[in-house]
Amino acid sequence: MNMRDAETGEMMWEKHAWPSAWRSEEVEARIPADVMNRAAVSREMTFSSAAAIDDFRLRQRVYLGEHCIEEWDFDFGFVIPGSVNTWQTTIESAGEGAMLDPTQISGLVCIETSFLDGDVVFNKSVVRVYYEQYD
Amino acid sequence: MGLLSLLRRLKKSGGEARILILGLDNAGKTTILRKLSEEDITTTTPTQGFNIKSILHNGFKLNVWDIGGQKTIRPYWRNYYENTEALIYVVDAADRKRVDEAGFELAEILGEDKLATVPLLVFANKSDLITALSADDVAESLSLFNIKDRPWQIQACSAKKGDGLEEGLQWVVKQVK
Repeated sequence: MNMRDAETGEMMWEKHAWPSAWRSEEVEARIPADVMNRAAVSREMTFSSAAAIDDFRLRQRVYLGEHCIEEWDFDFGFVIPGSVNTWQTTIESAGEGAMLDPTQISGLVCIETSFLDGDVVFNKSVVRVYYEQYD
Repeated sequence: MGLLSLLRRLKKSGGEARILILGLDNAGKTTILRKLSEEDITTTTPTQGFNIKSILHNGFKLNVWDIGGQKTIRPYWRNYYENTEALIYVVDAADRKRVDEAGFELAEILGEDKLATVPLLVFANKSDLITALSADDVAESLSLFNIKDRPWQIQACSAKKGDGLEEGLQWVVKQVK
């Protein structure tokens, strides 16, 4: 997974290796608080599949505490056996003044991603986001 | 300048559109996609599946699909035709030996029912190389002048330098209803 400034392409955060328990346990992501100052940010996931999948879908929900603040439903359809694939979503910020304070929401944001074949959820990952200040 | 700013100027709201990028391996599909978001292109490797960019602006969602072009992957292309509103076909204009192969694959694609009448943009990529064919020569080799059933356009570009990408994309976005 990675995050970029969607206007400049600058890589802001990148994580290649995930703990082996990512399927069953919540994992942490420590992201620079500066992402909240950018006008548009992209989030990219890379995933591979050994087997073909007929009707692959992702349901992604971003929660702030109990509230869902962002929703992505994506139908990929067919996934090629032995493939490596990427999916990048770009969203724009709510604008100055409407943005949340990263120090206040650090640790309260969760990205929940469900992996489905048709209507069957075969995997779910939860990433809890911590915003960190760097000088 | 890139996809996001193009979308901002489009003044569309609501809805969704799908753009499909195809072409032989090493044509530069992923590099084009990355360059359109100002991303680093030096780390681009052969695509072993698909790369998708979903951009949301004003409730309008643009999905751009780039599918790997290796011979072993091409038989799977047909899985991605449905609901496509514009097709971008990328040709390595400097790879003269494979222009015929590129033309053969394009002819196959254009014969697909699911892509009937879908507007076509051809990027004659790597035009910055001295060995590159001109856009007109590429159009000739791909028999583009015989296309009667859809709007089409050819655009010389250099994905590496970014030249020509914006012009091509602007045409594509105009075709998207």
